Amino acid sequence: MLSFILRRLLIIIPMALLVITLTWALIRLAPGTFYSSEKKLPPAIEENIKRKYGLDQPIGWQYLYMLGNITCRTKGADEKTTNGLQFNVGAYTFKCLDFGDSLKYQGQSVNEIIRRHLPYSATIGILAYLLALVIGLTAGIIAALKQNSMWDYGSMALAMLGLSVPNFVFGPILVLFFALGLYLFPPARWGGVGAIVLPVITLSAIYAAYIARLTRAGMLEVMRSDYIRTARAKGLDEKTVLLRHAIRGGLIPVISFTGPALAALLAGTVVVERVFAIPGLGNIFIQSVLNRDEPLTLGIVAFLSILIMVFNLIVDISYGFLDPRIRYE
Amino acid sequence: MTLSVKRSTTLFLLFSACAWLSGCTSSANSRYFGQTAAPKDNVMRYVSGGEIESLDPPITNSQPDARILISLFDGLVEYHPITMDPIPSIAESWEVRPDGTEYIFHLRNNAKFSNGDPITASDFVYSIRRGFSPELASRNAYLGYYIKYSEAYNSDRSFVTDASGRFILKKDIEGEGGQTAATAADNFGPDSEFHRFLDGPERLTVPSDKKELTAALEKDAKLKAAVQGKNFVPVKAEDIGLEAIDDYTLRIKLYQPAPYFLGLLGHQFFRVVPRKVVEKYGNDWTRIENIVTSGAFKLAVHRPYDVLSVVRDPNNWDAANVKLDRIEFYPLDEQTTMMNLYKAGSVDALYNHTVPAAWFSDIKQYTAEYSLHPEVADEFYVINVKKPPMDNLKVRQAFALAIDRMDLAKFRKTLKPLVDMTPEGVFPKYEEAREKIYTEELKKQGSSLDEWKARVFDADKARKLLGEAGFPVAKSGSGYACPSFPVDKVSITYNTAESNKAVAEFIQAQWKQNLGITVPIKNMEFRTFLPLLNKVDFDGFARRGWVGDYMDPYTFLSLYYSENNEGATGWWDPKFDKMLDDANNTTDPQKRFEILARAELFVMQQQIIIPLGTNTTSWMKKPYVKGFYPNPGTLEPWKFAYIERDPAKWTTDMSTIMKENDPIVTAQVDALMASQKRMEESKTTTAAK
Repeated sequence: MLSFILRRLLIIIPMALLVITLTWALIRLAPGTFYSSEKKLPPAIEENIKRKYGLDQPIGWQYLYMLGNITCRTKGADEKTTNGLQFNVGAYTFKCLDFGDSLKYQGQSVNEIIRRHLPYSATIGILAYLLALVIGLTAGIIAALKQNSMWDYGSMALAMLGLSVPNFVFGPILVLFFALGLYLFPPARWGGVGAIVLPVITLSAIYAAYIARLTRAGMLEVMRSDYIRTARAKGLDEKTVLLRHAIRGGLIPVISFTGPALAALLAGTVVVERVFAIPGLGNIFIQSVLNRDEPLTLGIVAFLSILIMVFNLIVDISYGFLDPRIRYE
Repeated sequence: MTLSVKRSTTLFLLFSACAWLSGCTSSANSRYFGQTAAPKDNVMRYVSGGEIESLDPPITNSQPDARILISLFDGLVEYHPITMDPIPSIAESWEVRPDGTEYIFHLRNNAKFSNGDPITASDFVYSIRRGFSPELASRNAYLGYYIKYSEAYNSDRSFVTDASGRFILKKDIEGEGGQTAATAADNFGPDSEFHRFLDGPERLTVPSDKKELTAALEKDAKLKAAVQGKNFVPVKAEDIGLEAIDDYTLRIKLYQPAPYFLGLLGHQFFRVVPRKVVEKYGNDWTRIENIVTSGAFKLAVHRPYDVLSVVRDPNNWDAANVKLDRIEFYPLDEQTTMMNLYKAGSVDALYNHTVPAAWFSDIKQYTAEYSLHPEVADEFYVINVKKPPMDNLKVRQAFALAIDRMDLAKFRKTLKPLVDMTPEGVFPKYEEAREKIYTEELKKQGSSLDEWKARVFDADKARKLLGEAGFPVAKSGSGYACPSFPVDKVSITYNTAESNKAVAEFIQAQWKQNLGITVPIKNMEFRTFLPLLNKVDFDGFARRGWVGDYMDPYTFLSLYYSENNEGATGWWDPKFDKMLDDANNTTDPQKRFEILARAELFVMQQQIIIPLGTNTTSWMKKPYVKGFYPNPGTLEPWKFAYIERDPAKWTTDMSTIMKENDPIVTAQVDALMASQKRMEESKTTTAAK
């Protein structure tokens, strides 16, 4: 088990570097620069900018420099930056995990931007996922237990609706009703518990729907399996069968879905963030690409890819606890 | 079937929701849009546009950033809240040398930074020099290139001296050219060694970089001969034409007259920053724990992408006249979200172009809140004049004539029809001059002003011109056809945006209908589109919008000035350059406008662009926000804004707001202008004596 985890953790490093390299190459291939604007810059000003950001150096050197910054390199004597992780080994100062400063937002480091905006997206994301779990699991289990009843059709129809109505439609509808019609909640912006309600509901809809369908399918399969028949034959009452035996197996599909879903939610969701004006990471990620803000894009991509890989690992480990038949060597 | 019943119930719910909502909008037939109640405190909440790039004034060049920086930093002059003309700020008065190349600013002696330090002339010298420093790499530096030797310093050039230490002059190489020594009679302000240097003949400068220098010398044999074996002295910040004569007197020296220079000084690039703090913290000086500002407000909170709030600075020289205690700037770029916040009463005003097209018909009834005033900005298509068939003037004219601009304006709603290069309705004096010159010139050419104005749409003439150019247009069914026109050689390229797409499709339809030519349209992500535009690397037409940097038609006309111009058409004509230079060398403002009008007619007759319309403000403010105007740049000097709690005094009609007399604002502006008026009066009396 331990060696499995170690192996998986080690593989994250080359994978993340590969993702970063590909992203870096794509950004460099895209036309336009972070400083281009509708006003044509005099060549002298363009030279000044290029020199300031090291863009006058050979491309290979720029790549290595970027790689050195985001992994580890020795810090030059004249460098003032306090970004990233810094420590001394003998006479050398090492500097690690420094994604540099944003090109668009002067004087703000990428690490700082991610640290600052992650809590917003994480709050919304985790709350939305918890809400989705509550709604989805309840609906899914009820639907599975009362298969082919009104309950089943009803909850599955709602789930279908939840999946097919995009959140850029659902969000504004909620706003129209509750914020502009009844004036119950603020229509947008961060601040106070009231402001979280609508974005969380909007964001959770699609996940609740998905979870409901996964739970229903998983539960239906488990309820028909031999070990459930055995449990019933032992004379256990239906409640114990369900809670102690069936749920653990029935939830495996939901757990596998949770890994990537939670990672994506933590890193922010563009649509909900824009509709509700929440200063989360998702919108910043998109803006960074549009602004050609290379360090920021790279930083968020790296963060996101590592997050997804770690969450997938956690999911894989949790299988072992949920289903006694799964073991890792 | 159970399922279908469920579905129809949901559908029913949705329908009733829509019905209820539309009921909601029409019930808002009350005078105001959504929740409208003046706040109890003097706080204004404003949607300012995208997140601010930097709080360091010379760095950013976007309008949304400028709006915030105006509140935080003062300059020599401030924008007039209605006209955007320069009015006194830290400079309480100024004098202009008769030949227009020199300005002396008299600073007030009570101006302070937010930490209480006094603001003196040397702070301005420092701030502006810093803006030009190559290390800062400001994208705005070109705005100040008229200041002597600023461009040379910013682009890292060197003076040249001979063995005896004498500086080689520009006129040594170019014969004429360059600025010549001033005569004693021209002496302006106190004499100083530095002033004599600045006022003296222009020195020659060459690139400091070895490679660039070699390249420059290769091209110019005369230069090479003059420079060979000489010494190079890098141009320093101290060489720029900025001089602190004393603590409260600042002199700025220009290469050549630039009558709009004063208007330019309101730009954040020229606003004053605290030297001590900048030098102490470097790049980090704008962090909230370090920042020191010079404006009517100081920074209180900055949560990026959420809110930036500023509070009244008691240290500001004009603090007694600042009426708001706090302004909250919300950085948003989702239009519907802004409108929702506005409707719910969570914000008091929005920045320009924020009302979504789909909301327009609903919003325009709220005349007390919605503004549709002309902006110092316009929309047009540039034509790549280097590639056939668009290298043919008649073809270009045909395409320009075949668009019904009245119809376009009706369709776009926030666009006013335009047939010229400079926007309509923002330069009234210039428009007067233009009307006069156009009448004269066109008469000489056997045409008339009416005929010129008819270019707003003339399909018959367009077809005729296209025929004359060798592409006959024939009737075909109910429409027209032009089979000989090489459609594959032209296209309309625009940067991805819903509004640009709508316009492109409209124009495509117009050309199809009136000329029988279907021009393909292409969209491109903004930053992919920009290099294409800058290199004039497109076929046919490309979408362009231009926002003036200052309140003068020159900001539009200069787009096509010099061979390496940023007009993105590939067109250049020295005759046009000469006209613009002549205009700027003319001191009489009306005469200058007349020369500029001639230049505009000249370039418009080349039809290198297809004007589409003047932009309008299209923003909203709650009626209780006063002292806040839809000026042509949507650049608001915040110290004039206030919250009016008496509904009787609320704004009733935005369309007349620019002409209404608000006694509070008028008194405030008059008080500021008084010092400059006195200066001008004393000048005229001395002159009379």
